[in-house]
Amino acid sequence: MTRVITRKVVQGLYKRTGTARVDADIAASFKAGDGIRARNINPTGHTRLPRYIRGKQGQIAKDHGVFQFADSLAHGGGKQPQHLYSVRFTAQELWGAGAPARDSLYIDLWDDYLEPHDADA
Amino acid sequence: MTADAHGDADVALRVRALESLLLEKGLVESPAIDEIIDLFENRLGPQNGARVVARAWSDPEFKARLLANATDAIVEMGYEAVQGEDMVVVENTPRVHNLVVCTLCSCFPWATLGLPPVWYKSAPYRSRAASDPRGVLLEFGTAVADEAEVRVWDSNAELRYMVLPERPAGTDAMGEDELLALVTRDSMIGVTRALAP
Repeated sequence: MTRVITRKVVQGLYKRTGTARVDADIAASFKAGDGIRARNINPTGHTRLPRYIRGKQGQIAKDHGVFQFADSLAHGGGKQPQHLYSVRFTAQELWGAGAPARDSLYIDLWDDYLEPHDADA
Repeated sequence: MTADAHGDADVALRVRALESLLLEKGLVESPAIDEIIDLFENRLGPQNGARVVARAWSDPEFKARLLANATDAIVEMGYEAVQGEDMVVVENTPRVHNLVVCTLCSCFPWATLGLPPVWYKSAPYRSRAASDPRGVLLEFGTAVADEAEVRVWDSNAELRYMVLPERPAGTDAMGEDELLALVTRDSMIGVTRALAP
């Protein structure tokens, strides 16, 4: 069946129809302040974990709540809802000692991308 | 495809050819095209984001709501659309300068800022905004003091980000409607500051 784009289809764009937030009671693996390391994964297909973050140490800044997982959706593996966090990385962790000491980068990462990492250990 | 590689006339011709093909094949109805042009020319765009910023500058309670839960505060102002489902607003201060990028593609808050500018989608901006934000900011004419922190927000996942620029000095007597004119799209991406009055 061919889907025809009608005025009504376009009017659907005025609505917040595409939220990826999932209303589900799922436990969070991390909380704000926790140290983490981004896993070094190299999937063949779609992922929202950019290469420059893989293997790097950061800190959970905020828990955004439960969201569907973009990677599994793209691979036909369903929503696999899980917590999504805002994670802070220092510019020096990502780009080396020459980067400005105060600067940082925040990126949104799902539970499956993260492993605990105690910076003091 | 950039404007450098193809003249405007060339692009317009291509768009017209595509439009008539889609209409002839019955894949798109003509009123849908009018609606989508109206949507992106008149209803979604940085004029919405500017209203949000001007109100936040003028109304401390709204600003607090906006920074705590940007999604609800923006919907409260009537700006609702796809690519604005879950919003985060980050505040520029003398100590923190925020900059938004999507390193993986071109994620952008349509409801408040409309479609992204071409440079935002370019590979050089997407890589250098993350690795050398201060250099990129300088190229936009924005110098950030060494003692301030630059925070880059990579909107790689499901949330969309917008910067609340600093209210410019000398605007204390200005109302929301006057302030609107000082809020540019680029200042809400974070590559520039709001205009001086």
